[in-house]
Amino acid sequence: MNNETNKDSRKILIDIKNLKKSYENGQIKALNGLDLEIQRGEFVSIIGPSGSGKSTLLNMIGALDVADEGSINVAGIDLLNTKDLSKFRSEEVGFVFQLHNLIPNLSVLENVQIPMLETSLSSKEMEERACKLLKSVDLEDKINQKPTKLSGGERQRVAIARALVNHPSIILADEPTGSLDSKTGDIILDLLKDIHQKENVTLVMVTHEPYVAQMADRTITVRDGKIQEDTMKSN
Amino acid sequence: MNYWGLIIKNPFRNKTRSALAIVGIAIGIATIVALGLVTSGLEASTETTLKAGASEITVSQTGSSNFDTSGSIDENRISDIEKLKGVNQTAGILRASADVSDGSNMAPGGGFFVNGIDPSQLSLMGIESINGSKFENGSYELILGKTAAENLNKSVGDTITIFGKEFTISGIFESGNIIQDGGAFVSLNVLQNITSNENKITYIAVKVDNNANVTRVSEEIADAYPNELSTTTAADQAGKINDAMGYIDTATWAISLLAIIIGGVGVVNTMIMSVYERTREIGVLKAVGWRSRRILGMILGEAIVLTLVAGIAGTIVGVVGVNVLLAFSSSFGSVIEPVYSTELFVRAFGIAFLVGIIGGIYPAYRASKLAPTEALRYE
Repeated sequence: MNNETNKDSRKILIDIKNLKKSYENGQIKALNGLDLEIQRGEFVSIIGPSGSGKSTLLNMIGALDVADEGSINVAGIDLLNTKDLSKFRSEEVGFVFQLHNLIPNLSVLENVQIPMLETSLSSKEMEERACKLLKSVDLEDKINQKPTKLSGGERQRVAIARALVNHPSIILADEPTGSLDSKTGDIILDLLKDIHQKENVTLVMVTHEPYVAQMADRTITVRDGKIQEDTMKSN
Repeated sequence: MNYWGLIIKNPFRNKTRSALAIVGIAIGIATIVALGLVTSGLEASTETTLKAGASEITVSQTGSSNFDTSGSIDENRISDIEKLKGVNQTAGILRASADVSDGSNMAPGGGFFVNGIDPSQLSLMGIESINGSKFENGSYELILGKTAAENLNKSVGDTITIFGKEFTISGIFESGNIIQDGGAFVSLNVLQNITSNENKITYIAVKVDNNANVTRVSEEIADAYPNELSTTTAADQAGKINDAMGYIDTATWAISLLAIIIGGVGVVNTMIMSVYERTREIGVLKAVGWRSRRILGMILGEAIVLTLVAGIAGTIVGVVGVNVLLAFSSSFGSVIEPVYSTELFVRAFGIAFLVGIIGGIYPAYRASKLAPTEALRYE
């Protein structure tokens, strides 16, 4: 029994209990006592209407924001009681934003290298790793171009490469297809799913589109800061 | 790519704004460098001037200025003073301002000082070595200062017309005294004659006995001829010059301070604008795991890069500016030689660095304290 519990706890990557977060002096309750467990290697989509708290939840998991109450444990780190979360963000998390957020004056290659500046890798190692990733997202011929010269889909692929470059345990994607046309969006989703399978990385994706959400193995519906529905995809 | 490369690259993302900030700081640095070059040049030439004079006391008519060019003292006072206790040697000098009218290059200010003196007493004026020979007493010969010779493009054996008379240059001297080296020495009686100053002199140079107290001898001379003669010692002159240099130095520091404040405000403005524009980018850097102090270091480093570039530009402008001004200024070009000291350049770059730190610290702190979620939401 004990062994089984330990095995389960090793598999749980994200463990959230009674998480609360409010803004504007408590008037807006973004998260209202949310409980959630995500296993290592899962592909989870978080869906819900605008203002339901799904992006706040994603920010909490990625340690971009701090909760008011409850507990949040990601990859064995207690995020509410850790002072400097930059190491956690650098080593455990990769973000993919809706607006890709690439740095315009840097080349594609340099944008992918940016997260590695916090590591002890040499310039050569950084370049090799970034090139390899850019090749895996079919952008090896654009490494020296500026992001402004790329299409929306290409930019998002650069952002995915950047998210993967430090070999994180979780990829947090916030509306990754939100600014793309449906065809390009599908390509990006296929790429994310492919990475999830090949790299066995946990993928948590926020979306408001049911069609996108159903691509995940598990769909969590958030409403009023709480989990309203948690469904597993039937094979 | 590396962190330092990013710091060097980032300030030039908005070229116009960065160029304006650099120009603002560079003007301050150029002013500091230019003033420093000129003042240290002045200090150097003043030191040489003071060392060069062999006489310790200058006796002039009460109420006359340092650059008086008339014969106002009776020549007999030369021997009268020489008889006073503690006085070793005296020399009477008549000073006149002459126009060079032979059509050659003009001397500083369009004219120069011609000093009449007994050639045997030239050592009292600090003139020890002459390229050529001394002039003869009563002859129409002169010795020309090195600076005057260069300005007039004259050498030994050439002639020069002053006060309507043609003089032959018997020798060229260099005393280290900026005023003397820009002028000439002729026989005293010849100058008295051609300037209608018979038996008159402008001042008397006094050398005291080896064991005599310069101040006491100076006071005794002044007391012996109250309301007629005044005395100045070399030490007094040095003190006055030191005071003047002190004022210039204070002014240089005040300008430096002003440059720091103005430059600092410029850098704060530039960097705050830069941080505002890059708020979302800073949010991304935080999201990918950059520590706050790395972001602080990046923004601070960018501010320092801006000011160091301004330091280089300002130093070049300052050095070139001073040299161009001195080359085209006939009055100062011949007497001030800019002195390039390491201290001056260290000071200029130190100030540039300080401006970078002062101007960059607040924007850098602000950037490092940005909340990632707010930064990422920034439009």
